[in-house]
Amino acid sequence: MSIFILIASLIGGVLLSAQSSVNGSFSSKAGTLESAFLTFITGGMMLFIIVLFFGTGNFLSFLEAPGWQLSAVWFGVGYLFLTILTVPKIGVIAANLSAIIGQLSTGMLIDNFGWFGGMQISFDLKRLLALGLMLIALWLIYQANIKDRKQALEAT
Amino acid sequence: MKVLFYIAALLAGAALSVEGALYAILGESIGKLESSLYNFVVGTIILGIALLFWGKGTLSYTVKAPKWQLTGGLLGIIYLTVLVIGIPLIGVGLAMSSVVVGQLVMSMIIEHKGWLGSPMVKVRPEKIIAVFLMLVSIFLIY
Repeated sequence: MSIFILIASLIGGVLLSAQSSVNGSFSSKAGTLESAFLTFITGGMMLFIIVLFFGTGNFLSFLEAPGWQLSAVWFGVGYLFLTILTVPKIGVIAANLSAIIGQLSTGMLIDNFGWFGGMQISFDLKRLLALGLMLIALWLIYQANIKDRKQALEAT
Repeated sequence: MKVLFYIAALLAGAALSVEGALYAILGESIGKLESSLYNFVVGTIILGIALLFWGKGTLSYTVKAPKWQLTGGLLGIIYLTVLVIGIPLIGVGLAMSSVVVGQLVMSMIIEHKGWLGSPMVKVRPEKIIAVFLMLVSIFLIY
């Protein structure tokens, strides 16, 4: 079962990467906030129709959900805001790779303590090793991206 | 001074993991699709307000843009819904790791092929090694 979830998450990442290219092209003409707004409003409209026909929960019960759960939306918006803030200062490559480090370590931290009512998965040697390999991989990607940028600059 | 922006970038990524964990738990009570819908409805309202005050671009470009540039929302809802369903089953750490690997591999392919308006950048051997290390990493957590 969980292998399917793993593959689905990989595909989720693939789509997210495609989204960032699509939105990148759109935002170069329309603007960053405009691009984010379009993503949210079109996503909302499509999901509304999907929930109308296939929703098994109760959408309106979000009104009774505790505020800390509803605050999730601010973390999503916070990500957008911080990205808009950091990219011009440290560059898109460093900003993205730093965000990934933050994302992975926080994910394992949440698992380790079972925060926010999720399942508890202890941080063990395997996970430490996995995080280390991930850091080396990110460092390699960073080096390759720096080389690519130098080459692109020389070409112009 | 620059270190502050690196910290801000780290926090941006941390926010993504917290967001995923919170929507997963919200999804357990109001429903998975409904939890995603909540994000897109309230996100639209927040960004709509932000756009009114700070929007410097041209939203009207939407009607002129090639249609493929308008698919960001569709891609976003699939991504979030997968996380809302997946996190309670495999945990935040593994879910985020696989998302990141999918994302990095796909960006390499997009750049290599020059798809979706991206400038063409050939994949370097370092990146192939990186993909291999990331897959080992996923295997270790799994």
